[in-house]
Amino acid sequence: MSRLRALPRAHLIAGLCLVALLLYPVVNPWQPYPQGVMLLAFLLAIQASSWNIVSGYAGYISLGHSMFLGLGSYTVGVLAVRFGVNPLWVAPLGGVTAVIIAVLIGSVVLRTRGHAFVIITIAMLLAAQIFAVNLKGITQGSDGITLELPFWDRDFQNIPFYYVYLILLVLTVLFSAWIRRTKFGTGLVAIREDEGKAASIGVNTTRFKIVAYAASSFFIGMAGGVYAYYLTFINPVGSFAILGSVTIVLATLTGGRGTLYGPVIGAFIVQVVSEAATVYGGGSQSRVLLFGLALMVVVLFLPKGLLPTIEAWWRRRHPEKVEYTDQAGALNRAPATTTERVRAELAAVNAEDAIAPGEILLDVRGVSKRFGGLTAVDNAGLTVRKGTITALIGPNGSGKTTLFNLISGGMAADSGEIWFDGRRIDGMRPWRRGHLGLGRTYQVTRLFKEMTVQENVVAPLPDSRWRTMFSDAVGGHEAARARELLDIVGLGRFANQPAGALSYGQQKLVELAQVLMLEPKLILLDEPAGGVNPSLLGQLTEVIRELNRSGVTFLIVEHNIPLVLDLCDPVVVFSHGAPIAEGPPERIRTDPLVLDAYLGDDWRPAEDGTADEGAGESDRAETATREAVQ
Amino acid sequence: MTHLVQAIALGLLIGGVYALMASGLTLIFGVMRIINIAQGAFLILVAMLTWWLWHETGIDPILLSVVTTPLMFGFGWVAYRLLLSRIRGSSASMSVLLTFGFALVIEGVLNITAGNKFKSATPSYFEESFRVGAISLPKAQVFGFLAAMAVLAALYFVLTRTWTGRAIRAATQNPSGAALVGVGATGTAALAFAIGSATTGVGGSILSVLYPFFPASHYDWISRLLGIVVLGGMGSLPGALVGAGILGLAETLTATYGSLNWSTLVFYIVIMVVLLIRPQGLFGAKLREDTV
Repeated sequence: MSRLRALPRAHLIAGLCLVALLLYPVVNPWQPYPQGVMLLAFLLAIQASSWNIVSGYAGYISLGHSMFLGLGSYTVGVLAVRFGVNPLWVAPLGGVTAVIIAVLIGSVVLRTRGHAFVIITIAMLLAAQIFAVNLKGITQGSDGITLELPFWDRDFQNIPFYYVYLILLVLTVLFSAWIRRTKFGTGLVAIREDEGKAASIGVNTTRFKIVAYAASSFFIGMAGGVYAYYLTFINPVGSFAILGSVTIVLATLTGGRGTLYGPVIGAFIVQVVSEAATVYGGGSQSRVLLFGLALMVVVLFLPKGLLPTIEAWWRRRHPEKVEYTDQAGALNRAPATTTERVRAELAAVNAEDAIAPGEILLDVRGVSKRFGGLTAVDNAGLTVRKGTITALIGPNGSGKTTLFNLISGGMAADSGEIWFDGRRIDGMRPWRRGHLGLGRTYQVTRLFKEMTVQENVVAPLPDSRWRTMFSDAVGGHEAARARELLDIVGLGRFANQPAGALSYGQQKLVELAQVLMLEPKLILLDEPAGGVNPSLLGQLTEVIRELNRSGVTFLIVEHNIPLVLDLCDPVVVFSHGAPIAEGPPERIRTDPLVLDAYLGDDWRPAEDGTADEGAGESDRAETATREAVQ
Repeated sequence: MTHLVQAIALGLLIGGVYALMASGLTLIFGVMRIINIAQGAFLILVAMLTWWLWHETGIDPILLSVVTTPLMFGFGWVAYRLLLSRIRGSSASMSVLLTFGFALVIEGVLNITAGNKFKSATPSYFEESFRVGAISLPKAQVFGFLAAMAVLAALYFVLTRTWTGRAIRAATQNPSGAALVGVGATGTAALAFAIGSATTGVGGSILSVLYPFFPASHYDWISRLLGIVVLGGMGSLPGALVGAGILGLAETLTATYGSLNWSTLVFYIVIMVVLLIRPQGLFGAKLREDTV
């Protein structure tokens, strides 16, 4: 969406093109050939725009998307012949079939991350072809199905199809634009950028991916139904052609994957070039070679596609002015009322809880995690009481971050139980834990770098309701809330900057704002001070204290010991995968076990005072930070 | 009963050949996280070449793999250096699209040079069979199976007993760690891609005898091989072996007791069922997904 705002003329140009296309058959009615080419370009654009939803926004490539065109064609062809209805009336049912099949395939393949999806999409396309050949009772096998001729007078040629496809194309683009505006769309891009992180901020990645796959199939299925009528003949080989998938992929890639208008532009280019190649370049035999070469050239030399490349060029020519980074003063900029309101909201969330302050909010019981021979977390127990800022300190490699991963659900524990807010959570998927009010930040920030700062903060989902999923992410309540949270961490001015452009310390603050969007009860902070400059650090601790006063509980992993002793109570010390000490900061700093295992001699109460204490510690904190960043 | 034994024997023979064909794919994925969609096209390319050489010279097609294997090794090396190394570091989907494009180019070139007709190499033993008791095993199947097993054994030896193989396995498990001990990522990747391609040298020669083929057959083959790899667990060599065995059996059993038409479909159904129960495949380990 930021792209659209950056180029506000895009919608205007699109509108003008639409008017021109609407008028074209009226102005030039006796030219069936160009109309035919346009019509096929519309069809390809519908498919490319739809494909873009799952493969562009969510980044899950499907190489078998032309299957949905065939499914739509067959649904409509079979119904039309059986029941004698006009194919145009039942065309939406083609879309319905496509959605059902997409949901079925998606629920098997999209439950996990990674590469199985692309493979299965090819296989399913070929499987669909086999079905169409062999289910002779329904599909008439290789003979194919012949449909009745269009009911209108021959004088109208294909003009009705022209308009049907144009309308379908407009609907598809509007649908795609709407998706991109919702939190669903933001979540899809989040999945593309970093799926694990997306899950940790409440994005139900499985559901999002399946819905995206289904959403990307509907209009193709419907267009397929119309296509059957247009062709008046369908057969398995033609309907489930892999070359159809190739053109979809090629069109979207050429125009710009993940953009709104890119797939449409790409479709027109591909259709026209392919038509020219057929006419001038030796027929359809060479088409495979041509498409293959084109695909390779685009991947190697124009990987982002035309539209984003042109846009990047435009931005270089017309750079936006970015305000001076005033980190120290930033935190004081938030209007007091805003801060007050967010605090009240968080207080309300935390007050409605069954658990009273001081009682156990997070309870880790006998949890272990092994990586091969290495036991990272060894039968560890840990309790965090509501309303506290609990610290978790210990040497590098003592299992603190692994414990965080087990609590937030990034990894599954080998044994033990984790309870949060009165519920056992160790079997829950990460997003469920997020919905319960468990948020975390990462040692090395994991923002979605290609999104804007504001989109990053809008992305989290505090609950699993469909209404939340389809709420507006660009305007409205969610966006306003994101702005408020950004104001609180003092980065409101950077809302429209790409997150990747921010400094490391600023990214940490954005990640905190992101977590706040979850309406959290407990926030796990993994080295919040690492890589943050001292003046910003003071402000950061102030934000943490304020949130804590609103009722938010914190569990903090940190190597900056002065900060920990100042901010946190109680402090838990971890060593070799299990806690060795726990208590108020005053006791921890003198505990001999802790001094041996972690703090070292600099912290031993010595006769020569505490003068060099700070220096020794800051060295260590720096070392730790360096290691963390590496 | 004889039917059943016959079907199982044939299924295992076919499974062995599938295993060889899928081994290259899984090796390439394991080392580079590249799904080489062009692997099927490599097979058809070799089959076409084998057919032509056999047609011209009369040399046994399976023996011709002595020629095609080094050719494909070089072909794979060059393809990696010229094409795939350019998109190192970009997302995995780009390599899928690039190799998909490569497959289409190979298909297109074969369409133009060799024509769009079914071909099949038919050496003298093509219609003969070995008889073991009541069951008969087509000689071509047996020879193909033996050749496949020999190459798989050689591959196993290379991967486990030589420095090169250890380097490749190291790069599979931990690229940055491998780089630290002097295993260059690019060189190893090119080598693995070349070895993965070389397996199609033998695989394609066997294919030319066992199955009729034409340029567009590569879609059937790649989806079959990808199915095996997904079933066995992506990147796992033993997984490919077991997956190939299971799918070879499923296919022949369906062809024997059901109909030939549905045998390919059974392939895909088995894959979907396995994914439903075990999303990471039979031998696929869930990798440590560090959230640091």
